[in-house]
Amino acid sequence: MAALASLWNGRLYGLEIIRFLENQSQLILAEGTIYPILNRLRAEGLLASEWVEAEAGHPRKYYSLTDPGRQRLHEMAEAWASFAGGLTRLLGPVLNHSRTIRSTEDKQEVQP
Amino acid sequence: MIQTIGLETYISSLRSHLGPITIGDREEIVREIAAYIRDSVEQSGLSLKSVLERLGPPDELAAQYRDGLLIRRASRSISPLLLLRASLRLATKGLSGIVVFFAAIIGYAMGGGFVLSAFAKCFFPGHTGVWIRDGELISSGTQFEVPSPPAHDIAGWWYVPAALVIGSLLILLTSFVIRKALRVSHMLQAKLGLLRSTESVS
Repeated sequence: MAALASLWNGRLYGLEIIRFLENQSQLILAEGTIYPILNRLRAEGLLASEWVEAEAGHPRKYYSLTDPGRQRLHEMAEAWASFAGGLTRLLGPVLNHSRTIRSTEDKQEVQP
Repeated sequence: MIQTIGLETYISSLRSHLGPITIGDREEIVREIAAYIRDSVEQSGLSLKSVLERLGPPDELAAQYRDGLLIRRASRSISPLLLLRASLRLATKGLSGIVVFFAAIIGYAMGGGFVLSAFAKCFFPGHTGVWIRDGELISSGTQFEVPSPPAHDIAGWWYVPAALVIGSLLILLTSFVIRKALRVSHMLQAKLGLLRSTESVS
């Protein structure tokens, strides 16, 4: 899902996808993992790929979402949002408790 | 080993380990990995050794591509042999894979057993059937020692179509379950890959 989501705004090549995921979501993917995944997604028709000649340097293989890829990403995003929403509600009391403790500690630090 | 080999050696080794993949796809993979290595060295300033280490050994990288191809082919196939091969590969990846593999063995063995016994009925009609005594099932299938009277065979020649149908259904059901498991395994592999990479960094 993360690999598909990284291509939502346009085409990227492998190294750009890795860096995008690191910068945007702190997902650190092993290079040896991402390339076979991209290859599989392309074989399944969720991604399209094309070799593009760079102005400087060597050609790079760019990936972009196909229509079925966008559709699949929509479905995955909705399923993930539903799952994450439920988990957030479950953890709500825990997070509120943590905030209360931090707030109390901050006040104690301010008061001499 | 990886510390001492250069780009060309790495690429050559990767190509040789991609064996079963078609030549066109193989060259595409090799070209992309070579481009990644050059980009990483040029843009991130990492040494070639570091970049190759991050990619992992060429045989392991090639195995991921090969597994992907095998599982993709098998998840669209109804060939028991291909499905068994893929489930065996899946068994090397964790407990759930082992469960799927043994379920496949049991399912195909039972299905195949019914089909074989249907054929056996044609050659050994007196030794193949469903025997009951006093309303209770005594034995079924092909037996060396036929249960003695008052036990008797209630299936007769109906055993042949019944065993063929049950056996075929079992084989189809097993194939369906393996295909489903293989499709799910694609997602699991991606998740495992993420976990492995995160662990290696932390």
